[in-house]
Amino acid sequence: MGFWLELAASGLITGGIYAVVAIGLNLQYGLMRIMNISHGEFLMLGAYLTWLAHTTLKINPIVLLPGVAVTLFLVGMVVYRLCFRRISRSAPTVEVIEARSLLVGFGLMFFVQNAVYLAWGADLRGYSFMAEPVDIAGARFMANRLLVFGVAVAASLGLLAVLRWTMIGKAVRAMMQSPTGAQLVGIDTSTLHPVVFGAGLALAGVAGGLLSMVYEISPSMGEPYTVTALIVITLGGLGSAIGSLLGGFLLGLVEAFGMHFTNPSLKMVLSYGVLVAVLIARPKGLFAR
Amino acid sequence: MKRSKSFMGIAVALTAAALLAPVAPAAAQNVRIGYAIARTGPWAPGAQVTQEPNYIMWAEQVNAAGGLNVGGKKRKIELIGYDDRSNMETVVRSYEKLMSSDKVDLILPPWGTGANFAIMSLAKKYHYPMLSCTATGRKLVDAKNPYFFALLQQPDVMMDALAEYMVARKVKTAAVIHVDELFGLEQFTSLKSSMAKKGIKILEAKSYPLGIKDLSPVLKDMQAKKPDAFIGLTYPPGTFLSTGQAKAIGFNAKIFYLAVGTAFPIYRDKMGAATVEGVMGLGTWNPKTGAAAKAYFDAHVKRWKKEPDRWASAFCYAGLEILQDAVEKVGLDRKKIRDYIANTTHQTIIGPMRFKGSENVSTPGVVSQWQSGEFEVVWPPQRATSAALFPKPDWK
Repeated sequence: MGFWLELAASGLITGGIYAVVAIGLNLQYGLMRIMNISHGEFLMLGAYLTWLAHTTLKINPIVLLPGVAVTLFLVGMVVYRLCFRRISRSAPTVEVIEARSLLVGFGLMFFVQNAVYLAWGADLRGYSFMAEPVDIAGARFMANRLLVFGVAVAASLGLLAVLRWTMIGKAVRAMMQSPTGAQLVGIDTSTLHPVVFGAGLALAGVAGGLLSMVYEISPSMGEPYTVTALIVITLGGLGSAIGSLLGGFLLGLVEAFGMHFTNPSLKMVLSYGVLVAVLIARPKGLFAR
Repeated sequence: MKRSKSFMGIAVALTAAALLAPVAPAAAQNVRIGYAIARTGPWAPGAQVTQEPNYIMWAEQVNAAGGLNVGGKKRKIELIGYDDRSNMETVVRSYEKLMSSDKVDLILPPWGTGANFAIMSLAKKYHYPMLSCTATGRKLVDAKNPYFFALLQQPDVMMDALAEYMVARKVKTAAVIHVDELFGLEQFTSLKSSMAKKGIKILEAKSYPLGIKDLSPVLKDMQAKKPDAFIGLTYPPGTFLSTGQAKAIGFNAKIFYLAVGTAFPIYRDKMGAATVEGVMGLGTWNPKTGAAAKAYFDAHVKRWKKEPDRWASAFCYAGLEILQDAVEKVGLDRKKIRDYIANTTHQTIIGPMRFKGSENVSTPGVVSQWQSGEFEVVWPPQRATSAALFPKPDWK
């Protein structure tokens, strides 16, 4: 593989990591307008659960991912019941939902982070998994990064398919367009809402589990991921599954080529530059409907 | 209404209890030692790997032996530790409170170069000696603060040692990455001058921001230039990242050197002992450097169920040894403690330690290398616990 293709591939793989981080929040914020600023914390929780189960029970972390997803889904249902149900019911407009859920999200962020500090301390943790180079057409990549990339693509396409071609997807979209109208045509919004929120947390947990295979983990790891996720879903267009996948790819590519031509220290300037440029050209994101 | 009344009742009872509670007479006997350190936030992993566990373990050890010997009388140590939440403001306010209103007997330093720098002037103002074990930088040492003592080797000392090792192995070229933080910049400045002195050419140097998730484009560029040595003046995230990605692309220089985090046991555990075989970095000691170091290592593993890191951890414990020795010699007069620290050659788990101004001038620059799961000291030869693997074996 030529040098440029290799550079592009490494950018796409990093973009896949960004996309995985964003999928869960895209459900919650993109579709439900719940600004769950504690997204990164639940991602961190998923990473810790995977790490804990893998290091104590010696189970393959890929096998653990469904378990992490179910656990986080249930946590999501509880969190929704306790924190977000009232907000989404009582708020007169989606803007009010955003503003109020932002505040609740901040509270959750401190709560989850400190709970993990209490349980496992501030130490760096990690384990080695699929840390073997893989040869693809002469270029070498780390196997665990390729796995994250694969899951990012599969999950994004899966989500896209569910939203576009299934009844549940249709119901979710209807619920977001008009909650009252959705109820009138027989959509059980009081079940659907918590389920979508829980699914968002489950996806955050899976993303965390995947990241724990690639990077070292600590209780403070979540916040930067929340920021990444927000950039990616804004770039791609709120609620668009394909948008956040391609938004992630775009960021990854810009960073990879930017690093080659300039300096890694300019990474932030480049990423925010892309975001600003996209927002000027298409204020609702690349794939907004 | 009923509810608010019962709330009032509880509030009144609590206030009364607080006001009437007698001051415990035993507390007056304790030697109160205060500090603020990161238990939460981005500094916490470093602080909790390297620093606070040593404070707690030392206090427990001293108390188990009856306490600190102050003027012939054994007094228990009472640690007063605050979480600084990785926030510079909180560091400064906490130490101001400890020194001016809590009036603790002694202080222990916070974690990191920046935080230590931030409270140096307070230490001088309130006359609290500070034995800093996670602060490096000429800026700190050159401040000529009489109450500040830096235990760790300064960047120029460490980089000179690396350059000497490279010359001994006839290494001619290097590629360098460094983190965009005070630490990385200081180390890089020192590295450039050390390399220039020894005639080693830096083929390429790039900086990177702390939160980066992909370094492979940079590593590929450097791989294409075929340097003899790769030097990463990194913080832990960059240390882990560049190891994994260099392995992935098969970038294997004869010397592969990384900075902070290389000495952490979690580095070996996360990357795998086979992977890190031959990786070099900032280190100073291991259980083989001496009997006292071995005893410290064993005590740490027993108390915390985890190994201490092979660089700054032992310096933190050495600082506590020095402080204990000073108190047992001259009592709790902080001016006298300062003079004792400044003018004595101390025996520590790292070896003898003497200060010239703020700087520890006894501990030489050291290069360490992972070999079969231990971070062996390989340079200078008189301190080496093992011969260096050179060139670095292929990634496994």
